[in-house]
Amino acid sequence: MSQHFDIAVIGSGPGGYVAALKAGQLGAKAAVVEMSHLGGTCLNNGCIPSKALLASAELLHHIQHAGDLGVQVTGATFDWAKIQARKDKVLTMLRGGIKALFGGRKVTLFQGRAVLNGPGKIVVHKPDGSKEEITAAKVIIASGSVPSRIPGWPTDPNLVCTSDESLHWKALPKSVLIVGGGVIGCEFACMLQPLGVQVTVVEMLPKLLPNLDSQIADALEKIFTKRGIKCFTNTKVNELAAGPGGMKAVFSNGQNITVEKVLVATGRRPNTADLALDSVGLTTDRGFIRVNDRMETPVQDYYCIGDANGRCLLAHAASAHGVCAVENALGHARAFDAPIPNCVYTFPEIGTVGLTSVEAKAKGLPVFVGSYPIGFLGKAMAVGDTDGFVKVIRHRETGELLGVHILGHNATECIAAAGALLHQKVTVEVLAETVFAHPTISEAIKESAEDALHMALHLPPRKLLRVVAESA
Amino acid sequence: MQTLKLPDLKGASQATVRRWLKQPGAPVAKGDVLVELETENTLAQVESPADGTVAEILAPAGKTIAPGAPLVVLGAPGAAVSAPAAAAAAPKAATPAAPAKATGGPVIPIVMPKAGQSMEEGTLVKWNVQPGARIKKGQVIFVVETDKATVDVEAVDEGRLARIVVPQGETVPVQAPVAYLAENDADADAVIAQGGAVAAAAPAAAVAQASSAAPSAAPVSAAAVTETGRVKASPAARKLAQQRGVNLASISAGSGPGGRILSGDVAAAKPGAAPALAAASGTRAAAGAAPAPAGGVRKKMSQMRKAIARNLLFSKQNIPHFYLKLTVNAEPMFAFYKQEKTRYPCSVNDVVLAAVARAVGEFPQFRCRMENGELIEYPTANIGVAVGMDEGLSVPVIVAAEKLSLQQIGAEAKRLAEAARKGKVEHMGEGVFTVTNLGMLGIEEFAAIINPPEAAILAIGAAHDTIVPKDGAARVGKVMTMMLSVDHRVIDGMVGAKFLARMKELLENPAQLV
Repeated sequence: MSQHFDIAVIGSGPGGYVAALKAGQLGAKAAVVEMSHLGGTCLNNGCIPSKALLASAELLHHIQHAGDLGVQVTGATFDWAKIQARKDKVLTMLRGGIKALFGGRKVTLFQGRAVLNGPGKIVVHKPDGSKEEITAAKVIIASGSVPSRIPGWPTDPNLVCTSDESLHWKALPKSVLIVGGGVIGCEFACMLQPLGVQVTVVEMLPKLLPNLDSQIADALEKIFTKRGIKCFTNTKVNELAAGPGGMKAVFSNGQNITVEKVLVATGRRPNTADLALDSVGLTTDRGFIRVNDRMETPVQDYYCIGDANGRCLLAHAASAHGVCAVENALGHARAFDAPIPNCVYTFPEIGTVGLTSVEAKAKGLPVFVGSYPIGFLGKAMAVGDTDGFVKVIRHRETGELLGVHILGHNATECIAAAGALLHQKVTVEVLAETVFAHPTISEAIKESAEDALHMALHLPPRKLLRVVAESA
Repeated sequence: MQTLKLPDLKGASQATVRRWLKQPGAPVAKGDVLVELETENTLAQVESPADGTVAEILAPAGKTIAPGAPLVVLGAPGAAVSAPAAAAAAPKAATPAAPAKATGGPVIPIVMPKAGQSMEEGTLVKWNVQPGARIKKGQVIFVVETDKATVDVEAVDEGRLARIVVPQGETVPVQAPVAYLAENDADADAVIAQGGAVAAAAPAAAVAQASSAAPSAAPVSAAAVTETGRVKASPAARKLAQQRGVNLASISAGSGPGGRILSGDVAAAKPGAAPALAAASGTRAAAGAAPAPAGGVRKKMSQMRKAIARNLLFSKQNIPHFYLKLTVNAEPMFAFYKQEKTRYPCSVNDVVLAAVARAVGEFPQFRCRMENGELIEYPTANIGVAVGMDEGLSVPVIVAAEKLSLQQIGAEAKRLAEAARKGKVEHMGEGVFTVTNLGMLGIEEFAAIINPPEAAILAIGAAHDTIVPKDGAARVGKVMTMMLSVDHRVIDGMVGAKFLARMKELLENPAQLV
């Protein structure tokens, strides 16, 4: 007799485990099927391990520049094995945390690979080779994504790595070619450089971080270049082969480079191929299971959240999707419409929420962009971290706040305030009238909101364009 | 006359008009800044290429236009723009974007006045003037029903009534335009076409003045729609508006700082076209419009019914009522009434009112009102008298009743009741205590709901014959039962009992009321 559940969740990443907890909180009997460690990509191969490594790297970066603040440190070194061990300890603690939370909400965990087996049925293929079938009234697919690899390139994961392997390197390479200048590529570049790795980043598109504000991308590239990270935009890797002394790459600009390792950071693809989706009538679009705003798939009682639905490949989006899916599965009607902040953990950090001016223009919205340099702030000067700026996007006709973009110290924390106000659909005036504590970095948000209203006090008066009306 | 166009702004494809520095009718010198516009990253000022007079603005604030789009019609220097001659001289082709006959003459909106502290909307009951009429200052131009009273509204401006935009029977928020004064109908139409935009074009917006409102023109409260056309509203107000299907732009002035619309303003506003969200939610749509049963009739609640519903629901839900009942020997009161009536008109109820006035004057707790969490003790016994009518009830107030004689109380009660039945309620909201009497309809006793912010109400039953004990034997006697409803937050049981005992003493020994 197979066990029956109100809700079965496939995957225990930030989408799946949160969905299961929500189901338990709402009184439903929930199961989670996980084929690997609890926590999914976020905890094991994404957000958390990268932040743990970045913390060590950033500390070293600060120590390398401690002299700027009058602190003399000599002979600072690092132990990569200890950095890795600390990271692993953090992951172990967090996995334990999820397990404890499952206990509190009476969520049943099945360790193994989930395969759909007709309506309401899931077969769990366990590590010992045995199988167990469970049934569920509602199924939430939260199977996540895996890093893309490039077909035709050497397949040795020790030489051509993805983020999955690179986060757990036993030894640091002397040189790395990062293919792809998106979020993952930039975070790795930023993390590896202070540790003495020679880093080269190649991006096919005209700018790093192609989905973010282009000015932020330009500024980050400048900062990277100053630190000795070589950045090539508008550039492809035409050839890649293992040779004596390492991996030899030929760029589209003709340049040659030999590196110890290659990190492929060109994106992620949905992890949905092995689920036997057709057994319940589900189809995919380039591997993604498409859903509506209620996270419902076209097949009744099946929901899809997180990376696997392709709406937004971010952990916090997956968690929000999970809550939304469970509420709908249990009869509450909720459509998901909250703005999702996007954070990049380089130093300086990037935090953005809402539309960029380019996205707004593509939607035909008339916008005005206010901005403020972080370097003008008392706090930024005091802490010696003056890189970056804030941009506030305002609808010219209605005054609505459409987006906030921050490059600067602690940007990932600062963006939360903007996200809260954006979710409330406030006008830029509300943001400008909000009192921010002084001295903080987030003050730049208020200043740039004021600039967007032509009333910034801590900027010189805006230059006016004076023109003469044309006579008909 | 020439039409000026937006020049190139450093290659920007579009610009949004931020504000006009010159309004229609304003003289302009060559080089004067006419208007300010915004592109994505630049603030631009547009100068006039020639001397002249602003005849008509073709791109109002908040509008997004491309270079080459018409901005403004510039008339000859010193031209009287409202003169019909100027209109005739204007080449039609020059103003392709606007009604051809508009002269840019002054248009003055007449708005729904705020005739009381709590007034948020008013129903336009009757127009006393028709379009085309000349209106003089002080003339009663329309009648408004508020939640409390019917009010004559006087004009505070002179001019010709060009357009009525709120017909009889419609309810609009305070400050919403109801009509426009203009010499030329087309000018008014042009303003209306721009969303009625509490006419940025008009140099001074005229506020119609309720005849019973404060003297001198009421200050124009800040509009919720700014000069750039965006609506100032709190997040909570936006959410509520979305839920209820209220168009925020239909609320002309919010009660928040700078005219910002608050959730209370939305709650008081009428739903407009139901937005997608409300329509999508089946349960809400069903709850919103219950079908009338077969043969049933769906009726709009009058302002008065809405006010009764709001105030009494608030009272029952928020005030801890307790009730004290006492029956008095009504014979002395009746004898006294009959004796006084021979000298001047008065009723049994007047005798009760006189006793109440005396007792309330003697008990300071009964002159207390609970306002914003504080107790305010009033110096005088302002007694409200509930007046029943076909469509509801109202409570005019006899101010400082403890200083009036029985004769004066009787005259004042009669005058107030007659005025109330005609829709004019005097001193409403100034009472400290209310008396309600259903005795004339034979009701023996009843418990009334306190009229907040007052702290007590006295319900008077019918004086009627019954068996009463007298010297150990039963006999027939006339009695009257009073039921006092008391707000326990303000007045305790012992004080209430003493008050009622004093009422009994006064009514059974009425000679002291003279």
